[in-house]
Amino acid sequence: MKKFEILEHKADLKIRAFGKTKQEVFLNMLLGMSESQRAETLKQEIKREIKINSPDLPSLLVDFLNEVLYLSQVNKEVYKKVKFKEFTDNEIKGELIGQKVKSFGEDIKAVTYHDLDIHQENNGSWRATVLFDV
Amino acid sequence: MEKKDFKKINNYLWEIPKSFRADMQVPARAYVTEKMLEESFKDRSLEQLVNVAALPGILKYSMAMPDMHEGYGFPIGGVAAMDMKEGVISPGGVGYDINCGMRLLKSDYSEKDIKPYLDKLATEIQKEVPSGLGRGRQIKISLEQIDRILENGARYLVEKGYGEKEDIENCEAGGRLERAEAFAVSPRAKNRGRDQVGTLGSGNHFLEIQKVGEIFDEKVAEVFGLFKDQIVIMIHTGSRGLGHQIATDYIRIMMQAMAKYRIRLPDRELAACPINSPEGKKYFAAMACGANYAWANRQMIAHYVRKAWKNVLGEKASPLVTLYDVAHNIAKIEKHKVGDKEIEVCVHRKGATRAFPPGHPEIPEKYREVGQPVLIPGSMGTASYILVGTQEGQEAFFSTCHGSGRTMSRHQAVRTISGQEVVNNLREKGILVKCRAMRGIAEEAPLAYKNIEDVIEVVHQAGLSKKVAKLLPLAVIKGE
Repeated sequence: MKKFEILEHKADLKIRAFGKTKQEVFLNMLLGMSESQRAETLKQEIKREIKINSPDLPSLLVDFLNEVLYLSQVNKEVYKKVKFKEFTDNEIKGELIGQKVKSFGEDIKAVTYHDLDIHQENNGSWRATVLFDV
Repeated sequence: MEKKDFKKINNYLWEIPKSFRADMQVPARAYVTEKMLEESFKDRSLEQLVNVAALPGILKYSMAMPDMHEGYGFPIGGVAAMDMKEGVISPGGVGYDINCGMRLLKSDYSEKDIKPYLDKLATEIQKEVPSGLGRGRQIKISLEQIDRILENGARYLVEKGYGEKEDIENCEAGGRLERAEAFAVSPRAKNRGRDQVGTLGSGNHFLEIQKVGEIFDEKVAEVFGLFKDQIVIMIHTGSRGLGHQIATDYIRIMMQAMAKYRIRLPDRELAACPINSPEGKKYFAAMACGANYAWANRQMIAHYVRKAWKNVLGEKASPLVTLYDVAHNIAKIEKHKVGDKEIEVCVHRKGATRAFPPGHPEIPEKYREVGQPVLIPGSMGTASYILVGTQEGQEAFFSTCHGSGRTMSRHQAVRTISGQEVVNNLREKGILVKCRAMRGIAEEAPLAYKNIEDVIEVVHQAGLSKKVAKLLPLAVIKGE
């Protein structure tokens, strides 16, 4: 199964992610975002605790990605893995795993609600679409 | 939505009447030619324009400039003025890059004086002004200093010795927007801003060494201190990560607060609260901080450009004087005539430029007789323009266009042309390019943008602002 794909968008970055479960679609969207940052990384592994509360699932996805983006920008790090310790439609607790960054090839500046979508397919798998401001 | 839903007001202005959709408070107007209007149906910018017309307290019209394209919530190129009592303020009406804007520095030199030093100058400027994506400036300023910048903008940096008094005189709002309060900005936003003062960013942000290629209005050009073949430097950047974080924070806050004010909107990115509500007031205070940060950023970049200029041309080189500095993404409290009364309104300009007419008290005295300078960048390697505000612009709350607007996605641009080809094409035209990543160059290829001449022609003919001078690029610099 494909993890994510980059969709056509005029000015910004639009990513569609897939997953067998909600957790997996969150993880694959994270991967889509961090791959798109085209970071030059250092070897040292970094772990960061995260905790997010949101009113609904679509907002949870945006808030989760915003949290990751904030940590990435301020600490100059990139995260390609996440271990969820708690995961509901309103709450995430978990640990991001990533690396220190020498430089970013793409400056992703914000996660938007524009055309935001997360839903379960008829076969039970999950799909999400997010537009990033670059 | 179809062309038949529009009423043609004149060759450059089309209107969708209020009756088009039940929730519209005012008509929607687009300053476009018939051909541009037809092109506009390709994305959702017109639908977004109608959505804006549904915002509580909007006055006169929801408006779009000729460079309009689809944005988040509001279209890019959108203008909406709100009643201070009944109206709302929307972070989506300002955009993520708060006070993304332009500054133009002018020299006393002609092209022939600078030609021998051009390559050296471009290299030195690139060295002095980082993009901030890599190693950055390597200076993390303290949170106390960030607060000073947020509340005092470019003025604080000039006081600290990073510029001249003239820099703030010749700047929209004097480089410092009133009502800015640092407490309204989250620690997260401040943290993102700590190592980005004086950085250019990526995307369409750039520095250009240009020459005055053509003068359309001799009298105004003289007042602005412009002459044919003059060397000028254009700076295009905004409030970087800090501004984006303010927008992110407040869209979230407003989305959750809207229900309390019984505001229902067709798009989450339009999230808005009454200007007079605690959330509205706090957003304005934070947005003003973001705007001040952007003015400080352009001030710091001007400082480093001047340093590079002196490094190459010597201490006695002609000074680089700020012609003007304008915002493209901002909300402002201004006095405007609505009906037969002059009232205070909150004007959202998202991808639009303020263009005050001759005699307006908010423009520097030396320009007051002719009107406010308006700086419009072209896409990379194409012409940019200096315009001037007009009395006719009143109908549009004294607003005009902001650039050329994309027509092709970044991906499509990368697939269509390589960065190297773009550089070669520009070199053939005698334009130098200094960049870090070839991919960024391909993404910003001129073929991915609307023709700037068409956009300028519309605002000129519609009377929103008048052409003063055309600027031609000699060297394009993307950050190191």
